[in-house]
Amino acid sequence: MAETKAKILVVDDEPDIVDMLKMSLENASYEVVEAYDGNEAIEKAKAEKPDAIILDLMMPKKDGFEACKELKNDPEMSGIPVLVLTAIGQEISHTRYAKSMGLELESDDFISKPVDPNFLLKRLEEFLGT
Amino acid sequence: MEIFNKIRLRFRLVLYFLIVVVISGAIATLVGIRLINTSIIKQAQNQVMHDLSSAWMVYNEKLDDLKDIVELTSNRFFLNTALTNNETGAAAKELEDTRVKYDLDFLTVTDEQGIVVFRASNPLVAGDDQSSDELVRRALRGEIASATQIVPREKLILESPKLAERAYFVLKKTPKAKPASKSVEDSGMVLKVAAPTFDHEGRIIGTLYGGILINRSYDIVDSIKETVYKGEAYKGKDIGTATIFQWDVRISTNVTELDGNRAIETRVSESVYDAVLINGKSWIDRAFVVRDWYITAYEPIRDIEGRIIGILYVGILEEPYIIMRQEIVWSMLKYLIIAVAAAMVIAFLLGRQITKPIAHLVHATRQIYNGFLPSTVKITSKDEIGILSESFNSMSHKLKQTLDEKDKAYAQLKDLNVRYLELLGFATHELMQPLGVLKGYLTMMQQSFSGKRLSPEQHEHAVGTMLRNVNMLVDMSQTYLQLSKIESGQLDTQKERTNVYHDIIIPAIESARPKLMVEEMELVIENENSLDRVDVWADPILLRIVYNNLISNAIKYGKRRGKIFIGFMGNESVFQFNVKNEGEGITEDKLDVIFEKFTRLGEPSRRKQRGTGLGLYNTKEIVTKHGGKIWAESAQGEWTDIIFTLPKTENGDENG
Repeated sequence: MAETKAKILVVDDEPDIVDMLKMSLENASYEVVEAYDGNEAIEKAKAEKPDAIILDLMMPKKDGFEACKELKNDPEMSGIPVLVLTAIGQEISHTRYAKSMGLELESDDFISKPVDPNFLLKRLEEFLGT
Repeated sequence: MEIFNKIRLRFRLVLYFLIVVVISGAIATLVGIRLINTSIIKQAQNQVMHDLSSAWMVYNEKLDDLKDIVELTSNRFFLNTALTNNETGAAAKELEDTRVKYDLDFLTVTDEQGIVVFRASNPLVAGDDQSSDELVRRALRGEIASATQIVPREKLILESPKLAERAYFVLKKTPKAKPASKSVEDSGMVLKVAAPTFDHEGRIIGTLYGGILINRSYDIVDSIKETVYKGEAYKGKDIGTATIFQWDVRISTNVTELDGNRAIETRVSESVYDAVLINGKSWIDRAFVVRDWYITAYEPIRDIEGRIIGILYVGILEEPYIIMRQEIVWSMLKYLIIAVAAAMVIAFLLGRQITKPIAHLVHATRQIYNGFLPSTVKITSKDEIGILSESFNSMSHKLKQTLDEKDKAYAQLKDLNVRYLELLGFATHELMQPLGVLKGYLTMMQQSFSGKRLSPEQHEHAVGTMLRNVNMLVDMSQTYLQLSKIESGQLDTQKERTNVYHDIIIPAIESARPKLMVEEMELVIENENSLDRVDVWADPILLRIVYNNLISNAIKYGKRRGKIFIGFMGNESVFQFNVKNEGEGITEDKLDVIFEKFTRLGEPSRRKQRGTGLGLYNTKEIVTKHGGKIWAESAQGEWTDIIFTLPKTENGDENG
């Protein structure tokens, strides 16, 4: 790991998923920070200042929508792009739900689970504009 | 339509009833009228027969009176003297006085030869021979003879030309009478008596005969009317009438013609003529006499030798009998009409009684149609309608019961379906996690992965994680299968006598053996000897799930190289079983939560696979279903004990 492209915060309540995502991101030369719930995600985002956040929606304590809203409302972090993980087939209803919460999420911002690491890396590159 | 039919049924019943009543009423009326007719006619005929004999009495009395007068007069001294001394002048005067006094039409004296000596009514004519006259002949023999007699015109002239004139009838044309052989009747009919006159030595010295000409004399008939009918009249008409016929000609009567004159000079009808004059029989029948219907009786009048010479008739006006008959019939009809009216009312009420429960049934049926259940009717009778009502009520209740059961079953099915879909959603979501892990690592292991190839350490880690997730998928599949067994078993459990140790615990331990070995755990069965003898009444398949889950959980959440205890305790009413492990334990506030559906405890552990969220829920469902209880006890950081009970039953049947 001589050089890293960017620092990515991965948030999911499922450790195996976090592990798996972390391995795929690290093998594509990203630096990875892990969090297992919404609260931890916000703490880590503040502390680590990641370049992008991969955020699962279904989590205990504080779910993805809540965390996302907090991030967007915090001027320090509102600029960090968020890639949202969602169950397959729920993109549309989640977009609507996000809108009702005042979140500006486009369908491009979603990645449906189960995640294909190749697809994730491609989207992440597009996202970061590298 | 419904009302129309109802009314029609009721009116039909009334109609049937009325038909029966009217028919029987009509028959009763006809029979009644016939009986009344017969009895009235009979009564009238008896009456007229009785009247006729009364008339004869009057008639014969008249003749007897005449006989007395003539007999008394024949032995008067003046007559005796006159005949003996042949001095007729003074005697004729005396005799004429007697004739006038007793209102006789003629009174004549003959000598012992039958030669007329002098006549009171016609003093100028004498000397004619009367000895051929049957009455005079008998008187000459010493008898007193009295009879009705026909006297020819020439003899009437001898007695008095006035009599001949009175007896002269120009016959009127009479319908129904026998064709007349002559148009004039000039002989007369008389009541006549002849008596002998004796001298002082008792020798017959002559006869006295006298009589009354009946023709145009109404004395007798009016006397009959007076005596028999007391002159009663009905609507200006005489109730009773009497007539004397000379042969077939009315010579004296109080039957009047339309002009009010007496109906003399007419003749009797042919049928009476034949019966009475030819055959000499009495004749009784209703007859149209001159201008009214009469109930009449005719009998022959005979002369002294028994020859029929005329007819005595009496008649009762029929009209009062007809009126009486009408009145009786009317009063009978009145009762009949009252009876019919009563029958109608009864039929109407009966009809209502019959149709009312039917109307109720119709109403109740409509209610059922509109969804009101159970809709019942009041049972008012034990007849067919009552039975129908009863059947209807039971049907209604049965229907209600069935629908309720169906509703309940439907609600149950709906609930099951919701739970099924819920489970399906949960299961899919749960499956997605391990599948996601597998997909991710497998993608990275492929040549085409866009990142760097995995290092040997990474590869080892990935395979370990994947294996754990595959095991989890297997676990999940198992609990879902269990759940489906439990849920389907909710509709049908098959309990049997089951030995807990041999049938349940031993097989469960055998299937857990590989996991135990991996975790290097020791399994201890406490109280093994008594457990050996424990039989319960349970579904063995479900009970095995209980032990599988509890042992599997004990391993999953127990510490490596720890012990697992399988225990048993029995008291008087229940068996108590438990599975205990050594490990982190459960906080007290979570002791109940662990039995809820889709709950998992504890922070994610890297080493261990996580639970499916259904194992303890399934376990609790099964225990509860068997009438037992389940709960957890724990010491933080030391152990967790899951305890459950099953009811003790003698034969197991009571709770079967």
